[in-house]
Amino acid sequence: MRVSVNGEIREFKAETLTIDKILEILGYKTGIAVALNETFIVKTKYRDTIVKDGDRLDILSPIQGG
Amino acid sequence: MKKWQIEGREFNSRLMIGSALYPSPEIMAQSIKASGSEIVTVALRRQSALSLKDGNSFWDIIRELSVTVLPNTAGCHTAKEAVTTAMMAREIFEVDWIKLEVIGNQYNLQPDPFELVKATKTLIDEGFRVLPYMTDDLVLAQKLADLGCTTLMPWGSPIGSGRGLMNPYSLKSIRKQFPDLNLIVDAGIGKPSDAIEAMELGFDGVLLNSAVALAQDPIKMAEAFKHAIIAGRLGFEAGAMEKRDMASPSTPTVGTPFWHQF
Repeated sequence: MRVSVNGEIREFKAETLTIDKILEILGYKTGIAVALNETFIVKTKYRDTIVKDGDRLDILSPIQGG
Repeated sequence: MKKWQIEGREFNSRLMIGSALYPSPEIMAQSIKASGSEIVTVALRRQSALSLKDGNSFWDIIRELSVTVLPNTAGCHTAKEAVTTAMMAREIFEVDWIKLEVIGNQYNLQPDPFELVKATKTLIDEGFRVLPYMTDDLVLAQKLADLGCTTLMPWGSPIGSGRGLMNPYSLKSIRKQFPDLNLIVDAGIGKPSDAIEAMELGFDGVLLNSAVALAQDPIKMAEAFKHAIIAGRLGFEAGAMEKRDMASPSTPTVGTPFWHQF
């Protein structure tokens, strides 16, 4: 499947994956928050939320702000 | 100075400071310390796993400062984007307040009042304490207050412009109409005297970033703003004298010697 991760198309071998699994494959650890198709996904739902072909994932972390 | 309260939290300093645009992370940390500010604004952005491989150095520095963070929704252009960003911020920063920014115009980064109201309603329903970054519009202020905002953050002038208070009359009107709300001038402050002016108008605080970060000596400027905020607040509390059209001698005239006898 092809998923947009932070605006870049990434290919995964599986047809679907949970958010948990995708974060593990990509190498993310802590200090992030995730939105799937522009909807916030609470951390406790990573294990149950399925990502499929064509989905858009945004993975955000703290930066400087005014 | 007396402590003050905003959104159920108590602070000594009435200065809120941003964490962006400093020449280096070290200067940012020293500037924040020098400003005496206890509230620091932060943001969220997409970041690659590679860039976070060794943790998030920016976030580590902020945590070491032991300040209260105020996340923003900078860069959002719709209520939906802002709501999603606010929810992500609440999870990461573990705070229930948000500086709500929904930009409506790229030229002057003016907040979009319609999307702002929409996002405010959703976020308050979701249990957030919303601090809306807004234009200095009295009707908008009323709408946001009606939704339950207890803090309003009208702009002094466009973000990063350093133009000071463009419209003191509007800010004064908002202050008069909402004596019980916390009012913060957010954006546009360029010099310490701008901050003093905002505080003398009776505003409860000032939020700024570029004025310190882009100063030639950010650490010294941060200290200048610390004193400006105190001076402005004390000046407001003390109550300034009325302006007069005519001069009036400050030295007593009774007993004036010699020739100037009128």
